[in-house]
Amino acid sequence: MNLVELTINGKTVKAAKGATILQAALKNGIYIPNLCYDRRLSPYGGCRMCVVEVEGQKGLSAACSTQIREGMVVFTETPVVAKSRKAVLELLLLHHPLDCPVCDKAGECKLQDMAYKYGSTSNRFSASRKDEPERLDSPVVERNPNRCILCGLCVRICQDHQGVGAINFIGRGFKTKISPAFEETLDCEFCGQCIDVCPVGALGSKTYRFMSRVWYMNEEEMICPYCGCGCTTNLSVRQGKIIRGRGKEGVGINDGDLCGKGRYGFDYIYAENRLKTPMIRKEGNLVRASWDEALKYVAERMGSIIEKHGPASVGAIGSQRCSIEDNFMLQKFMREAVGTDNIDSAARFGYAKAHKAMEKSFGSDFMPIGWEAPLNAKFLLVIESDITSAMPVWGLNFILARNNGAHLAVADSKETKLVRNSSQWIRLVPGTGVALLNGMMKVIIDEGLYDKEKAQGIQNFSALESSLKDYTPAAVSAITGVSEDEIRNLAREYSSAKSRLVAMTSGASENIKSLNTMLAGANLVMLLGDSPDTLQIPAEFSNTLGMWSAGVRPAEQGKEMQEMLYAKDASLKALYIMGENPIVTFHDVAAVENTLKGMELLVVQDIFLTDTAKMADVVLPACSWAEKDGTFMSAAGAVQKIRKIVKETGEAIPDWEIFVRLSKAMGKDLGLNSVAEISAQVSEKLSTLGKNDLKLSFNPAAYELIENSSSEFPMLLVTANILQHSGALSSLSRNLDSVVSDAYLELSPADAEKYKIINESYVKVISKRGEILLKAIISNEVPEKTVFVPIHFAHAKVNTLTYPAVNGGIPLVPVRIEPA
Amino acid sequence: MNILLKHIEYPESTELKGYCESGGYKALSKALDMKPSDIVDEVRRSGLRGRGGAGFPAGMKWTIASMDPKKPKYLICNADEGEPGTFKDKPILEKNPHLLIEGMAISAYAIGAEYGYIYLRGEYPEAKEILEKAIIDSYAAGYLGDNILGKGFKFHLFVYFGAGAYICGEETAMIESLQGKRGQPRIKPPFPVNEGFLAKPTVINNVETFANIPYLVEVGAYAYMKIGTPESPGPKLFSVSGSVNKPGVYELPMGTTLREIIYEHCGGIKDGKKLKAVIPGGVSTPIMTADTLDCPMDFVNLPKYGSMLGSGGLIVFDETADLRKVCLRITEFFEHESCGKCTPCREGVGWLSSILKRMCSGEGKPEDVELLLEISKNILGKCFCALGDGAAIVVQGFVNNFRPEMEGRAGAQA
Repeated sequence: MNLVELTINGKTVKAAKGATILQAALKNGIYIPNLCYDRRLSPYGGCRMCVVEVEGQKGLSAACSTQIREGMVVFTETPVVAKSRKAVLELLLLHHPLDCPVCDKAGECKLQDMAYKYGSTSNRFSASRKDEPERLDSPVVERNPNRCILCGLCVRICQDHQGVGAINFIGRGFKTKISPAFEETLDCEFCGQCIDVCPVGALGSKTYRFMSRVWYMNEEEMICPYCGCGCTTNLSVRQGKIIRGRGKEGVGINDGDLCGKGRYGFDYIYAENRLKTPMIRKEGNLVRASWDEALKYVAERMGSIIEKHGPASVGAIGSQRCSIEDNFMLQKFMREAVGTDNIDSAARFGYAKAHKAMEKSFGSDFMPIGWEAPLNAKFLLVIESDITSAMPVWGLNFILARNNGAHLAVADSKETKLVRNSSQWIRLVPGTGVALLNGMMKVIIDEGLYDKEKAQGIQNFSALESSLKDYTPAAVSAITGVSEDEIRNLAREYSSAKSRLVAMTSGASENIKSLNTMLAGANLVMLLGDSPDTLQIPAEFSNTLGMWSAGVRPAEQGKEMQEMLYAKDASLKALYIMGENPIVTFHDVAAVENTLKGMELLVVQDIFLTDTAKMADVVLPACSWAEKDGTFMSAAGAVQKIRKIVKETGEAIPDWEIFVRLSKAMGKDLGLNSVAEISAQVSEKLSTLGKNDLKLSFNPAAYELIENSSSEFPMLLVTANILQHSGALSSLSRNLDSVVSDAYLELSPADAEKYKIINESYVKVISKRGEILLKAIISNEVPEKTVFVPIHFAHAKVNTLTYPAVNGGIPLVPVRIEPA
Repeated sequence: MNILLKHIEYPESTELKGYCESGGYKALSKALDMKPSDIVDEVRRSGLRGRGGAGFPAGMKWTIASMDPKKPKYLICNADEGEPGTFKDKPILEKNPHLLIEGMAISAYAIGAEYGYIYLRGEYPEAKEILEKAIIDSYAAGYLGDNILGKGFKFHLFVYFGAGAYICGEETAMIESLQGKRGQPRIKPPFPVNEGFLAKPTVINNVETFANIPYLVEVGAYAYMKIGTPESPGPKLFSVSGSVNKPGVYELPMGTTLREIIYEHCGGIKDGKKLKAVIPGGVSTPIMTADTLDCPMDFVNLPKYGSMLGSGGLIVFDETADLRKVCLRITEFFEHESCGKCTPCREGVGWLSSILKRMCSGEGKPEDVELLLEISKNILGKCFCALGDGAAIVVQGFVNNFRPEMEGRAGAQA
């Protein structure tokens, strides 16, 4: 990197060529006051607080927008500078309401701090203050236009960084204000990034309104409990209760960025159905019990089942939300105390596919994503995934890559946020991503655009070649609906790019991709001679990768999830579920319900009385993520600490401790009695990950639908997570529910017309497994013959219609819709 | 002096036929036989300075843009003539549109631009129709299009109608507006000549600057420089309004004195009254007193008298004018037109006009004039663009030149 040397306040410093004075100063620990600068945004130069003196320069220069030069001599705090800053503050304070006593920002307000630093001004003019009404009409974000100093940070973070553009300046000059179009109610994705960047109290968190003065709170750095990004959210605790979340520059891998879940979703731990005591089913009802009683009960029942049916009749489900330590203890308990290998999790329908694809293709047992991988590629190809929704903060790197000049091609049937921020939208029929990838490879091979030396040396190359013979541009065009030219051009442009990346998600609730889609992605990577890490498939939740790595999956002959829950012959007699809610989040609810009902013993260990817990024989209360110590492993493979920052709820204890006690109750000692002891053993296990040599192999992957649409069920139901929620957990957050609180069915205007469905009316959605009622939203985002439904919501029972899939076929659900 | 306005006297001057009959489009034909770099050199040698107000040498701008390797390049005509007192581009736009088109076509050829835009003031709807028709006619006659005059030069020209914001006359705000964004100035550098419209090299010149080009090309730099003064060569359009007998647009050589403009060409002050003050170049230039009549109107001499040539829009005030009200009105204009981006302009100019308002309504305080000066000082040189500076120097000009009257002292009316 080219460095430039300059002098700031007599100190010689170095900074990258092209940097501004402000950037050079901040990088070298010299603070220059500013109100409209943010490291993530291009300079704006509006507030005029950052003025400095530059030797040889007439007048003052704005540090945020003046580039450094070799030998430049800068003074940031001279009497002239101070006078100018004081003048700017005087101007800002002319109209800024001095309502600090009732402003939630007071104490961390930049304007307040600067006024304090540069001294008060005599009140030389009594100007009229702005008198706009506060806007409290949207969820989680409150706006107070009177306090706004028009720095524009919120507008720019929303548009340029977040890729949304929900607000902008309206009006001109002094009458300028920041508002959604036509002063409508703010209706955005509610990430809250605008709140964090607001230097004053013009934008605030509605859920924190009048909750506390900032100086009464302790701020704790915590790993977010939701997706696999592993962001650090700064949680403010007052009187033992978390009341606010925010991002902070320089903290965590997210460096201050957060999505709505990370910022607002913490309050699920205050849901009303939190479990406070163990419960045992007596005469058909769950009644409170003591820990001793409950553990004794589980130990005895479990013991007798093992005795009667053997340990292989016991199964366990781990949790992608529980810590590595919790999951490690679950599998240790099952393997050592019970003696069963029937251990699996919901990741079977999600991340397990990615893992299997990586294992088969690359011979790798551990492939975390690279946080900055999107920034290192010139051509990014995303297959049927809204990464900005599944992994919101990592997704920002895709938008950033595009802003930096990379080509972002998104193949998706739906107009997602990522599509709106892409360079190229390949709108295909849902579920046909695998066919598109095959079609691209066919063109690449036919036109000799691949890395012949590398690819032909990889096992199964000829099998791949022959498997692609039916994926001609014409055939793929017929399947995907993408034109032959677009397929050809995509193949050519992708293969000729300087550096490349294929990315997709592997969510358990997604039904437009399968193992085959991921294998096809891997095939493309190898065909072009790219490194395996140019295939990026993130693990879904906060500790999916940690759980997986801790051994929550069959190691030998144990049953996988589909055998445990969906097999016709119910061989399992007892099921132990930790932190999972299959009745809501697993596909084909009827089958799951049937299996659970058939258990002789169902133990559910959770923080809530979930729908699954309601069916249990014994319910054990566990601590939430903020009530215990432990570690999560992010999708990028970082093992990060969670800490006990608030008191446990009722008699709840950490999941790992339940296993310590339960094993003792069963007369076995697992030998580990603290987080530290468990961690030590886990790290030993984790240290072996990703150390094996790679062994590449092509795996032909066909496009096939498990169930096809028919005249009876002519439409395809697409399910997925939405940005504001994460599994079923987030639906217990009041904050997030205030944004989206119910499932809905998105359909195209043409289909609405065809089936005579009015916007926001209820529709009946019928598959061969059952029917549900949903509110219809007519939207241009979804193509014809397709309906989109988010999962998340227990009461919507969307999974009544769906079915599980763990292999290559695409599990789209043929449905029929009619007005209800 | 009859160069820029010469065609106007011919009948049907807005029509292609009238323009050609009075000698139009000959320069374009000549230019297309020259090397583009020769035209750029000729313009640079002529010393032609931009007529929009800042007086930046046009040839310099063209040289930088034509040397930038980035392609494509764009040409923009600043026809957002929106400053009170300035209406000198209006006759060209409304009466002589082909002169502008010809000037732009030659400029485009010189710098290597294939696309040009005329950013037209939103309050000039008549000009819009006239320009659009002239452009259609020029396409039909082969003066615009893919193969101009059969000489293989491609240039397409579009009219973009502004939405009524003065700030869009600032060239970077104009580019933002042209790109469909909110009209707010950009950080410079990069300058438009390197990264302008769609981040490509862009030359932006005023209507009048382009109108100078056909003549300059026709007669060459040497003959052109014989008009005007050595530092400010060429003809200049002055729009004169206010208390004169014959207000209007006058084409005169650069360096013509204020006295000559007011007393010879405009027929002196209305009703034989006494001259009190003159704003020489649109309301963003400081007001001058009656004893500066011998000042030559050009880029070099006006600053010596504490003002600037600006756009050449003179506003003349006689002895009955209430300068406090004038100052208030001008400040209100800037307050209304401030884009709101930077603090000093957005908040400061509003403050200035609030103080002037209370001064005019008799509620002023003794310290108000000092306060005006101090606020102006806090605005001047601290704003993002020149709009706030304009407001500040104007207020300073009023206070410095007419302090007794601004202070409202008895007997100051004289």
